[in-house]
Amino acid sequence: MNRDDYRILSKRFGTKDGHKLSVYESQGGYQALRKAVGDLGPAKVTELVKESGLRGRGGAGFPAGVKWGFVPKDADTVYFMVNADESEPGTFKDRFLLDYDPHAVIEGSIISSFAVNACLCVIYIRGEFGWLIDRTQKAVDEAYAAGFLGENILGSGYKLDMIVHKGAGAYICGEETGLINSVTGRKGQPLIKPPFPAVSGFLGKPTIVNNVETVASVPFILNEGVEAYRAHGTEKSAGTKLFSVSGPVRNPGVHEIPLGLPFRDFFNDWLGGMAEGEELKAVIMGGSSVPVLTAEEAMNTRLDYESLAEAGTMLGSGGMIIIPARCDMVELIQVLMHFYWDESCGQCTPCREGTGWLHRIVRRLRRGEGTLEDIDLLDKVCGGMAGLTICPLADAAVMPMQSFLQRFRAEFEALVHDSKQPGPASRWAREFRS
Amino acid sequence: MVKLTIDGQELEFTEGTSLFDACREARGEALPHFCYHPDLPIAGVCRLCQVEIEGMPKLTIACNTTVRDGMVVFTRNERVRKAAQQTLEMHLINHPVDCPICDQAGECGLQNQYMEYGLYESEVEKGDKVTKAKAQVIGPHVILDTERCVLCTRCVRFCDHVTGTGELGIFNRGDRAEVGIAPGKELNNNYSLNTVDICPVGALTSRDFRFKKRVWLLKSTQTICPGCATGCNIRVDHEADRIFRIKPRLNADVNGRWMCDFGRLEYRRVHAESRLDAPLLADGDRQREASWDQVWSRLDALGGKGLFVVSPWQTLEEMDLFKGLGGGNTVVSGPSESGRGDGDEILLSTDRTPNRKSLAWLGIDELAGDELAARARAADGVVVVYGGDPVGEVPAFAEAVAGKTLVYLGTHRNATSDAAQVVVPTSAWAERDGIFVNAKGRLQLIRRVVARPGEAREDWRFLADWQGRTDDQTQPAGLPELRRGVAERVAALNGQDLNTIGASGSAVAEADTGGDA
Repeated sequence: MNRDDYRILSKRFGTKDGHKLSVYESQGGYQALRKAVGDLGPAKVTELVKESGLRGRGGAGFPAGVKWGFVPKDADTVYFMVNADESEPGTFKDRFLLDYDPHAVIEGSIISSFAVNACLCVIYIRGEFGWLIDRTQKAVDEAYAAGFLGENILGSGYKLDMIVHKGAGAYICGEETGLINSVTGRKGQPLIKPPFPAVSGFLGKPTIVNNVETVASVPFILNEGVEAYRAHGTEKSAGTKLFSVSGPVRNPGVHEIPLGLPFRDFFNDWLGGMAEGEELKAVIMGGSSVPVLTAEEAMNTRLDYESLAEAGTMLGSGGMIIIPARCDMVELIQVLMHFYWDESCGQCTPCREGTGWLHRIVRRLRRGEGTLEDIDLLDKVCGGMAGLTICPLADAAVMPMQSFLQRFRAEFEALVHDSKQPGPASRWAREFRS
Repeated sequence: MVKLTIDGQELEFTEGTSLFDACREARGEALPHFCYHPDLPIAGVCRLCQVEIEGMPKLTIACNTTVRDGMVVFTRNERVRKAAQQTLEMHLINHPVDCPICDQAGECGLQNQYMEYGLYESEVEKGDKVTKAKAQVIGPHVILDTERCVLCTRCVRFCDHVTGTGELGIFNRGDRAEVGIAPGKELNNNYSLNTVDICPVGALTSRDFRFKKRVWLLKSTQTICPGCATGCNIRVDHEADRIFRIKPRLNADVNGRWMCDFGRLEYRRVHAESRLDAPLLADGDRQREASWDQVWSRLDALGGKGLFVVSPWQTLEEMDLFKGLGGGNTVVSGPSESGRGDGDEILLSTDRTPNRKSLAWLGIDELAGDELAARARAADGVVVVYGGDPVGEVPAFAEAVAGKTLVYLGTHRNATSDAAQVVVPTSAWAERDGIFVNAKGRLQLIRRVVARPGEAREDWRFLADWQGRTDDQTQPAGLPELRRGVAERVAALNGQDLNTIGASGSAVAEADTGGDA
């Protein structure tokens, strides 16, 4: 198959005026919506999405249709939210979708809202994406004018309003309940579950939050059918996925691939291998929060949910970071630990205190003031954070930390051995001297 | 009913019970916790009450879980214990551990849980600690130390959901997060000191109690707040006959777990400079201390005539005795304008007296100031005032008693005591036993907490002695006997046995009281 055959989501990337309604419609846009509100109806749409095997593309990979099914059948008011916070380091696929193909996102959002009978759809865009907010708002205005939004959509009697909401730039607002709190006007902090948002979310009503890429996949499934979608990918990881690749490869950027593709092929054929003079050292597959893989581990895995889990990491958001041999892994983890320390919302104690502690220990190591015990302490601190908090931010910090320690421990130890610190490296000895 | 197994013990609970409460019952003690509070919404942030539930891959916080049939829960196994220890360690890494100068020491959640779950050696470098602002005055009664704070958000939730005033919030994020006060506000609601009670650590401390006493030296006595007609159940903490602080005591029928700041600071009056501590007799323009013999001979000479005025700050038993003492003479209360203030929708009553209800039950009329003055003017040479300060509050009353013999039984020096020919020092609320009847007709016991100052008398004994000198009848030998008599005389009590009232009081049906609230 030609690489272009896999382009479901990225079909219009680079098309002139692809973000305009006229171009989108001329290429078959909004036909899926006509089908959905016409013949299919909400139940059938949900069923099709379930059958397609489409999984949440934000990071957790939860089957989208199943999530929709959690909305109580007798709910009077339902809200739908599109998560365009895209705050996971290394991830920049959703911004491509909104930039090049906002109508695909909007059509997918309307269909998804229709499937759960939502009365309001909020597209939550991170504050840093200023131009995308304007572009998306323009596209929403076009959709309203064309009768795809508002009262009686396409004569079906279905009414939906859509709001483009600007975030204020917090990582945690990409977590669905943090996002809901932020939209509500509260501090962007995740809510305790239960209740889950599908039962009680925005303003206490059932709320479904889906990633941009997830909803953008929906029109294709309705237009071309479940079979056509399932023709790509594997049994459990159906369809295609956008990977946003950064690092010194020949072709960085956003690539759409069928799930299940061997990383080796992706690396060699899509990315064109490492840039001149660079050597592959490690790969972060799905955004900075997933465990890092060594070059060798990466080369022996495939890009789908199951294979990557088997390899000890996660597909995550598809924010792939290629790490070259010249990269100092401790410096890299320091950058990441600084990020999680900065972004922890501060609610849950293990995350609030743990992220800062990890950051300070790593910083100390890099200053050449660390000890071998500090390296063990990093591991111990991770143990006191993972799985003990309301949302997965603590885990998101722990997974890279632990995997860096596990796979690149020698680099941490070298900092201790190379330390110019004279005398015994005991922390206590130093402390009492000072 | 739902059946579940906690630590191998099979137990039944009603549906909807919180797993936290179920575990408390099963274990005989609560799970470690900071943020959970039974009267506040669940926050789920301290992460200490994690338990293992069979079939769940992760540990689960018990406070946000309701019991389910067939649940198998472990609260004491190695995994749960380790999680509690690790989480506690996280709470402590940036804590200043300034226990030697912290008021909370001795009743601190961090200290207690460290002894239970911690006992590890600290691995935090001093230089790694996050420091924050200490000792910030955030209101008239409360001081905030953000460095000691564990960010459990109890105080924030209290101000959001109990008082609805919303002064507090968590500002900033991550380990820079701090409890703070909204811009331009101060924590000055009527219930601000409750935040100190519910703060599990020394982050919020009482400006009144600060640095006064180590808590382990204090003894506690259960009694009733005299500050208003609500009659909040309280605990008075005292040492060596000095009261140091008042804390609310749980009574779901009266005050729940809260009390207002006014009531909490009532104790100051007990130790006020102006306390009367010796009997006084007028001597020309002055008053001089007198012996009890001199007082009695003066009182005996009065002939038992005149107007008897009792205040609503006296106990049920005292009012009853005083009414008997007045005998055929008029016994009234007043001025009725006295002891009024602003109330609120939560606990504080507009009636700032503890026992007005008893006046109605005893059939003692409350008179407005001018009416009281008219009665005093018409009185037959003698006016006996028991409690309150009608001379200070009603100028017409002051004029009316000017040429008469004024006897004052009271606790504090005031205009009435200054005008009196005979002053008998009596006991403050924390120095005597008795019964207050709150606005809802609930009988509640006040207890003697500290010793009376100087020669101040225990009220009921003094009244009984006085009565004994006027009519030769046998007087009650003790409070139980007195209370039996009161129960017979007061119809509104409906035969209630006053000697069996427990620590949480006893309600008398409102329909039987016959009086207005």
